[in-house]
Amino acid sequence: MLKLRLRQAAPVALVAMLLLTLSACGLTEYPNTTFHHNTEFNSAVDALFDRLVFWGTIVFVVVEVALVVTIIKFRKRPGGPAAKPIHGNAALEITWTVIPALILVLIAIPTVKTIFETQAEAPAGAIKVEVIGHQWWWEFRYPELGVVTANELYLPVGRTAAFELKTKDVLHSFWIPQMGGKRDLITNKTNHLWFTPSADLPSSAWNGFCAEYCGSSHANMKFRLYTVQPDEFESWARHQASPAVFSATPAPATPVIPAAQVTVADSAASVAAPTAGYAFPKDRLEAEFPHVIPQTPIPAGITFDDALLAGGDPVKGATEGFLLGGCIGCHAISGVPGAVSEIGPNLTHLASRHTIAGGLYRNDAPTLARWIKNARHLKPGSIMNTIGKGEYDPILKTTNTMGLDDRQIADVVAYLMALK
Amino acid sequence: MATLATPTPAAVAGSDAKSGLWSWLATTDHKRIGTLYLWTALAFFLIGGLEAVMIRTQLARPNMGFVSAETYNQLFTMHGTTMVFLAVMPLSAAFFNFLIPLQIGARDVAFPRLNAFSYWVYLFGGILITLPILFQAAPDGGWFGYAPLSTPAYSGVAPGSSELKMNMDFWVAGLQVLGVSSLAAAFNFITTIINMRAPGMTLMRMPMFTWMSFVVQFLLILAFPPITVALVFLMMDRVFGTTFYQVAAGADPLLWQHLFWVFGHPEVYILILPAFGLVSEVLPTFSKKPLFGYNVMVYSGIMIGFLGFGVWAHHMFSVGMGAVADSIFSLMTMLIAIPTGVKIFNWIATMWSGEIRFTVPMKFAIALIAMFTIGGISGVMHSSPPADLQQTDTYFVVAHFHYVLFGGSIMGIFAGIYFYYPKITGRFLDERLGNAHFWLNFIGMNLTFFPMHFSGLLGMPRRIYTYDAGQGWDLFNLLATYGTYLLVVATAVFVWNFVRSRTRGAVAGGDPWHAATLEWSIPSPPPEYNFAKIPTIGSRYPLWDLKEPTWNADPSGHAVPSDPSDLQEETASHTAKALGIPMPYPTAKPLFTAIGLVVMFGGLLLFRDHHAVGLAILLTGAAMLIGGLYAWLTSPLE
Repeated sequence: MLKLRLRQAAPVALVAMLLLTLSACGLTEYPNTTFHHNTEFNSAVDALFDRLVFWGTIVFVVVEVALVVTIIKFRKRPGGPAAKPIHGNAALEITWTVIPALILVLIAIPTVKTIFETQAEAPAGAIKVEVIGHQWWWEFRYPELGVVTANELYLPVGRTAAFELKTKDVLHSFWIPQMGGKRDLITNKTNHLWFTPSADLPSSAWNGFCAEYCGSSHANMKFRLYTVQPDEFESWARHQASPAVFSATPAPATPVIPAAQVTVADSAASVAAPTAGYAFPKDRLEAEFPHVIPQTPIPAGITFDDALLAGGDPVKGATEGFLLGGCIGCHAISGVPGAVSEIGPNLTHLASRHTIAGGLYRNDAPTLARWIKNARHLKPGSIMNTIGKGEYDPILKTTNTMGLDDRQIADVVAYLMALK
Repeated sequence: MATLATPTPAAVAGSDAKSGLWSWLATTDHKRIGTLYLWTALAFFLIGGLEAVMIRTQLARPNMGFVSAETYNQLFTMHGTTMVFLAVMPLSAAFFNFLIPLQIGARDVAFPRLNAFSYWVYLFGGILITLPILFQAAPDGGWFGYAPLSTPAYSGVAPGSSELKMNMDFWVAGLQVLGVSSLAAAFNFITTIINMRAPGMTLMRMPMFTWMSFVVQFLLILAFPPITVALVFLMMDRVFGTTFYQVAAGADPLLWQHLFWVFGHPEVYILILPAFGLVSEVLPTFSKKPLFGYNVMVYSGIMIGFLGFGVWAHHMFSVGMGAVADSIFSLMTMLIAIPTGVKIFNWIATMWSGEIRFTVPMKFAIALIAMFTIGGISGVMHSSPPADLQQTDTYFVVAHFHYVLFGGSIMGIFAGIYFYYPKITGRFLDERLGNAHFWLNFIGMNLTFFPMHFSGLLGMPRRIYTYDAGQGWDLFNLLATYGTYLLVVATAVFVWNFVRSRTRGAVAGGDPWHAATLEWSIPSPPPEYNFAKIPTIGSRYPLWDLKEPTWNADPSGHAVPSDPSDLQEETASHTAKALGIPMPYPTAKPLFTAIGLVVMFGGLLLFRDHHAVGLAILLTGAAMLIGGLYAWLTSPLE
């Protein structure tokens, strides 16, 4: 009897659990929930999902109740009725073929309608964003605004964002659960997706993920979305489109090579140009959106003397580090001649971002120093070379005998942190 | 076999060898081969389970460091590959082998040596694909092996070096080898079912397990060619530098996805229909009632198999196929829910008005109905593409297909194991341990997989080796991990029971459950020749006709009671020789041929690194394969 009661209780408990959790999904402890109306796309998805849950729950209850009633009512017991040799019943079988078919029609009609709605052309006036997947980070380009950035996406509320999705290597999938469904990035193809962050959203931060398995660090291919007010977006975009502003105050000593001289001279000239544009305020992230701040611990086995960071020389970092140290081979910095490579993320305004390494770590000087020293130790499979002198490269399985020492890395960090 | 040459004395003497290693290596007896499949597949089930335990341990809490990213990726790839190809499919094959000839009243399968060959190819293919995990070189591209990640540009050499990376080579070669095994077995069983049924056993009098198996064999012979083509292309890309999937040469990566899922979706029904067949044997037996709506159960099984080939792209709603293709594949997918639902309702109706005995196999069969229903409902949820865009590649999908494959296939297979263990070994599995196994398994399964519905809908992607704290997923992941540990306990109880009951279980007679079909008319374990006299069949439930005519009162009057003299249980144990029944000659030629096949693929694997050595081994394997086949085909069967 106890067993029978357990079986009776199980479906009830499952439904209760389902309802309980669904009702809890709006709460802030589920920062990546798919139940919301932040975009028209997800309003459509959510309406469809509600219908699916409604009919699914009915079918679930009918089947499980029928099952439980049957096994209790017809359990073999002394004095119970004898089994009846029933071979079938055409009317009943037709009934339970037709009723599910009718339910499916009620699901199919809105499904097809929603497919065509969500896959229509993006409405006119949409802001165009190119999303380019890389193993394992995200490149975002706003061709109309001249902005190139990485791992952090800004969108104005109330305006449709039309994404062109591409990949430089393997398949990835672009997914911001709090905005809408995902769309894959397919090699040699361009995919499309659009949605409109609701105009009444306050400026907010959201998590984005890669949802298609793409190799070693698939789990570490994340990004952030900031939906901001139109004026904030405008300020952000204008600043991001400008060349690097090298705001290091100490006057540079004679730079080692001419290229750097040009950079430093340019940036000195542009100090008068618009000061740093809008970036999502860090204190608001900490107060309201802690779930977008990476908690990833730095793996054991890497040391860096953080005291060196205070004395880092950005000019030496630009010249001896960025140019001669090899960074320029992969990273672009707008305004630095020759720094145009698109292999790694564009670093023009690196210091305005809150995360590095595909959203895996916080963007602060100590983490950046360790990242530069041995990226492959911090992120499995990373194609970024192990730069630190004497560091073990976990992919090449050799120790780097060339590379930069901690002092030089501190200089590079000082330079990158100046790229507001 | 009766139609072939009369036995030579040597042949009969050879078939008398009943023990020792050689008797297993050279066996052509479908029951022994079935037993080999059962033990091997259970071993792989434990390996796949161990992989799952490591996966769940790594995901117990955010930012865990139990295994590295690379190891994790190998673990989830191998968990999927192992469970699909090396555990669930061969567990079904164990039942195909053991039961189909017994259920249709035959003395063996149509091609006993081909049957042995299928098993050995499966064993060696399984080893080929599993062994590399001991060297941290297991396949790591997912069980779906999506291009271009599986092409040489992204998994051909270790990143940043020229060191060859063989992980996906093992997968590509191993899956081709396993495909040979499945195809050979499928042709064998189709021939067996079509040609070797006992007199009077029309197709519509076949037991439901044999019917579902029959459908599955057609799925196998239709689904494995596309995956074989896909794998040969990939292998040529990896070994010879062709450009079927090489994106740098302009390939379209969706070619792989279409070819893979044209196989991959029917594969789901290959995994579930045998379990449906098993519970369709268990439910009538323990309800003391015939199966409700036999004809509709047959037609719905065929319908599921047929529609199963038209829904593959529902695995690809996020790739951007366009609104029309999305709509068509969505509607096709919804259609499949109808025949599946009919099966559920007919099973419940089978129990209605019955006298239900809650034996362990019956509990597993009821659990299949309850749990598969959940998987079916979540399946309808992602048949709707816009909703699926929020679900695909999240833990919601992981929850869904584990309700289908664990709640469906595994529950059904356990029902089958508890039901048929007495037939296979002559002894019952212990009922108390069985009950403990059932409840631990049932609770453990729900604790593991139900929370995944939530973590998925709350934004947790699949195939991630770690996740950050504060994402709202911690509780669900911890529960799932505890559930997995509970499943470990459940499985340990089962293994203990399975091993112990072979010698200590209560002795079961020929018909311990009062079942209705032919396999229960002979002793347990069955003699090597199965039936001393091939019975003549008059209805779907010949044993009930004989023993309990009221259980199967057929109002239609079409059924003819079977001849009692055909179905008397054997009491004395005779040898085939004494009865003058010709039996297939035991031979290790299929084993030798299977070794040749695997050596050949081994040579191909080495070819990438050492052309000469690889080629030499490849040719040696080919020579063994051809020589083995020649010797096999030119020697008589009996």
